[in-house]
Amino acid sequence: MTDITLEVNGTEKSLAVEPRRLLADVLRHEFGLSGVHIGCAHGACGCCTVHIDGVPKLSCLTFAVQCEGKAIATVESVGGPNAEHALQQAFKSEHGLQCGYCTPGFVMALIPFVEAMTSQRRMPEDDEIREAMSGNICRCTGYHGIVAAVRKAIGDQIAGGSNRS
Amino acid sequence: MRPASFEYHKAVDIEDAVRLLAEFGEEGRPIAGGQSLVPMMNLRLARPGHLVDINALPMTDIEFDDRTMRIGALVRHEEYGRDPRIGKHFPALLDAVHWIGHPTIRRHGSIGGSLSHADPTAELPAAAILYDASMVVRSLGGERRIAAVDFFESAYVTTLEPGELLVAVEFPIPPRSSAGSFMEIGERVGDFAIASVGAHLEFEQATITRAALVCCGADLVAIRAPEIEAFLVGKTLDAPQAVEVGRRFAAMVDPSGDHIASADYKRALIGELTRRAVEAACARAIESK
Ligand SMILES: Cc1cc2nc3c(=O)[nH]c(=O)nc-3n(C[C@H](O)[C@H](O)[C@H](O)COP(=O)(O)OP(=O)(O)OC[C@H]3O[C@@H](n4cnc5c(N)ncnc54)[C@H](O)[C@@H]3O)c2cc1C
Ligand code: FES
Ligand code: FES
Repeated sequence: MTDITLEVNGTEKSLAVEPRRLLADVLRHEFGLSGVHIGCAHGACGCCTVHIDGVPKLSCLTFAVQCEGKAIATVESVGGPNAEHALQQAFKSEHGLQCGYCTPGFVMALIPFVEAMTSQRRMPEDDEIREAMSGNICRCTGYHGIVAAVRKAIGDQIAGGSNRS
Repeated sequence: MRPASFEYHKAVDIEDAVRLLAEFGEEGRPIAGGQSLVPMMNLRLARPGHLVDINALPMTDIEFDDRTMRIGALVRHEEYGRDPRIGKHFPALLDAVHWIGHPTIRRHGSIGGSLSHADPTAELPAAAILYDASMVVRSLGGERRIAAVDFFESAYVTTLEPGELLVAVEFPIPPRSSAGSFMEIGERVGDFAIASVGAHLEFEQATITRAALVCCGADLVAIRAPEIEAFLVGKTLDAPQAVEVGRRFAAMVDPSGDHIASADYKRALIGELTRRAVEAACARAIESK
């Protein structure tokens, strides 16, 4: 066992973990964050995407021991209990989800992209959106709704002039 | 789908890392981005007893001098993939990076990890072979350089010995007038290639003076084609006989079929990708003049 301290969604916690434990499992089991979904456990689906020090990373390809002292954010930290982030709202209105299994991964992978486009005040081409989400698999929607949600989130935030979150 | 037990060690510098790797021998493995190693561990295709985390090591610079570009082993795909100096001197390498996986993977995966992992259809080993790169390798015994052609032994097998750490890869800078391109076909964007072909051309006025071609998908390692490269020398940029070059490459290779593509399909694909890579390199050469 190795002692580590992680800051998860703003709260620090120390715990002892076996080095072989995946960050995804530790977040789910030790932190109770069931929004971290595991689809494939080998990097192919993007479901388990979280932010480590603000950068999207696959938590199934990260060992918890590697995150000593790092700040981790999961989908639970986004938009409050009513999921009010512009991207979450757009997923809802544009039919960007059906079963929802993939959604946390898409949201975490796409937030930095949406923020970058919003701060540049630029509406990306659909190809760029598809590239930004190419590491995430959705078995339900056929992706069109997700592309529409990204466009809407960026458009709304540019129009609103704010960075709602 | 979870890894076997191992001990975790965070190396503080290169000396520390090579010392740890020497101590653990066959049981020790460096971990860089983890984008290939952790999937292998989760699938229990790899069961190292000791992981040496090298992410804190100072191997993160891209340096140029008159003759060489040196990329530290830990430079992430995303970072060198947007370095304009690489686009200028090594356009095929820049093309190649964009075929690697997806944004999150390119953000964390490293050049050293990709080269050491040596996937048979990975883009970087091919680019390293195309540009005659050398691997700079450190161990307790000191430093040695390994030419790319000698580094890749077979699928997932390199000539790195236990206890050795790849610290950088050096690309000789081509003479001023050169151009290149890298073409690939996979099942989906971000997947490993079914086949890929890279071309590097050096030219004077409108005549090709030196050529290099590399192909993935034909063998367990990326291969060069010296005879076909020689055929390109003396051709002009506006008429490189790219179709014939492709035909010759396709005739030379002997790929094996798999569940995704038959051998015939791969051979045809290699011919076509060769044509496209040569034409694209020539088009870039003409544009740059
Ligand atoms: C879904 C998915 C798609 C992908 N698609 C592609 C693709 O299309 N093309 C492609 O090329 N790659 C692809 N990759 C792999 C990606 O490029 C990896 O980043 C890369 O292969 C390994 O780099 P890494 O830094 O993650 O290395 P790690 O996974 O940390 O290590 C890989 C291997 O190299 C060894 N190693 C690492 N660094 C060193 C070093 N400095 N010295 C000695 N040994 C070292 C490790 O011990 C291990 O054996 C994909 C990965 C995923 C998950
Ligand atoms: S569960 Fe991590 S990428 Fe699929
Ligand atoms: S909504 Fe079901 S997998 Fe995407």
